[in-house]
Amino acid sequence: MPRRVPAGLADRLPRLFDFRDLVWALVARELKVRYRRSAIGFLWTMLQPLLTMLVLQVAFSALFRFDVPNYPVYVLAGVLLWNFISQSILAAMNSLRGNAQLLKKVPVPKEVFPIATVASGLVNLLFALGPLLLILIVTGHPLRPSLLFLPVAIVIATVFVLGAGLLLAPLAAFFQDVVEMVGVAMTMLMYLTPVFYPLAIIPDRLRQILRYNPVRVILEVFRVPIYEGRLPSLTMVLAAVGLAVVSFLLGLAVFRRSCDRTAFYL
Amino acid sequence: MSERPIALRLSGVALCYRLAKQRIPSFKEYAISWLKGSLSYEELWALRGIDLVVSRGERVGIIGRNGAGKSTLLTVISGVLRPTRGEVEVSGRVAAILELGTGFDWELTGIENIFLNALLLGRTRAEIRERLESIVEFSELGDFIRSPIRSYSSGMIARLGFAVATAWVPEVLLLDEVFAVGDVRFLQRCQERLLALREQGTTMILVSHSPDVLEKSCDRAVWLDRGEVRADGSVSEVVASYLEGAAERSGVG
Repeated sequence: MPRRVPAGLADRLPRLFDFRDLVWALVARELKVRYRRSAIGFLWTMLQPLLTMLVLQVAFSALFRFDVPNYPVYVLAGVLLWNFISQSILAAMNSLRGNAQLLKKVPVPKEVFPIATVASGLVNLLFALGPLLLILIVTGHPLRPSLLFLPVAIVIATVFVLGAGLLLAPLAAFFQDVVEMVGVAMTMLMYLTPVFYPLAIIPDRLRQILRYNPVRVILEVFRVPIYEGRLPSLTMVLAAVGLAVVSFLLGLAVFRRSCDRTAFYL
Repeated sequence: MSERPIALRLSGVALCYRLAKQRIPSFKEYAISWLKGSLSYEELWALRGIDLVVSRGERVGIIGRNGAGKSTLLTVISGVLRPTRGEVEVSGRVAAILELGTGFDWELTGIENIFLNALLLGRTRAEIRERLESIVEFSELGDFIRSPIRSYSSGMIARLGFAVATAWVPEVLLLDEVFAVGDVRFLQRCQERLLALREQGTTMILVSHSPDVLEKSCDRAVWLDRGEVRADGSVSEVVASYLEGAAERSGVG
């Protein structure tokens, strides 16, 4: 059956499926590169958020003293998901630039690169759930059945992140300064998201704005089942799913429209 | 001949590289120039309306001077670049060697690069394991297959790349100057493998500067000149007129 080379979505999906083992190989490579130079290897994935938690614990419980019961769990859950979101979006954004030599010479569906970076971020997140469980047990936090909701929350976050990565990757290929701009934006976004502070400490008017921060919604859907031991509200879940779907569709549309042109710019 | 199914059809394919002037590396500058309406393009048309129909199993050689658009044409057929205008239709899988050593990682061993390369062709690990032995055998790399390929000669790289690209029967095989670095024995074995692939219906597009290679490996030749098809026909005719044209040009110069 004849196939146009700039093929449509329906044509490309089965083709993308052919490349599933390539995606795994890219994930394995990324994880290897990440841990090659570190003596404690994969332990680092688990240690890094724990250390961050410790620092924030000291900084915010001892110095600023806002009243969050069992702050370590609150902040660790927040930091884990925030790290996944920000690191995966940044890595996916850079994935076309990083594989420029391949993209320019090998006819491979370009989606594999952002997909592989997000997948390796996901692997890191899953590894980091180990220390989270440890802290839950050590601090005597009740282990509720709501934890079973986590896979859903993680899927929502992954789809959201993949969309953002697909959206930014071609832009970063066209314009070098996009990489820096997004880096700065991420830092700002971290402070605008209740990752390590409770939303309650924010002054009333500002809080009404921050509530609508999309990353906050995605984050709460992940943290509420862990920290509060209950399911997130239906409104919250629907909002998160909506955000993830919009992000994904928008990212995919932009990526497919422009990915064939990126080869000219890289 | 014309009864055979069509493997590849290019209709009015044109490709434009936008050069320096328009290549604005920063989003800020782009936004500013866009607002000012001062985005200026310096356009280089590498391909200017190529029409080409290739039937299944045909072996087409592309010849032409440097910068005539030969490599760009293969890049467009492979799908790496999308044509600015026109359409490319390909039936089935494309395997391509667009440049020596692409899809290789210099720090990895020959074996690891076989996997990497074949994964880039869209093969699964299981499929690769199945063919691994025959790929290694065809490459004739012996014990070198376990060393990092940065220690390989260009001939060895070419052998490995060719062995992987032709390990599975692609519907369309694109080769850009791969025979330039091989020795006589390698060329011989490549010809044999290409013949075997043709038996199984592979369509081949080959770019070469060597009339000799074209005569041996192709049954049709296309002369590209400044992004246009200057001649299309039997290898001997096209090569003859190409050489004539080249002689004329050097006579003028």
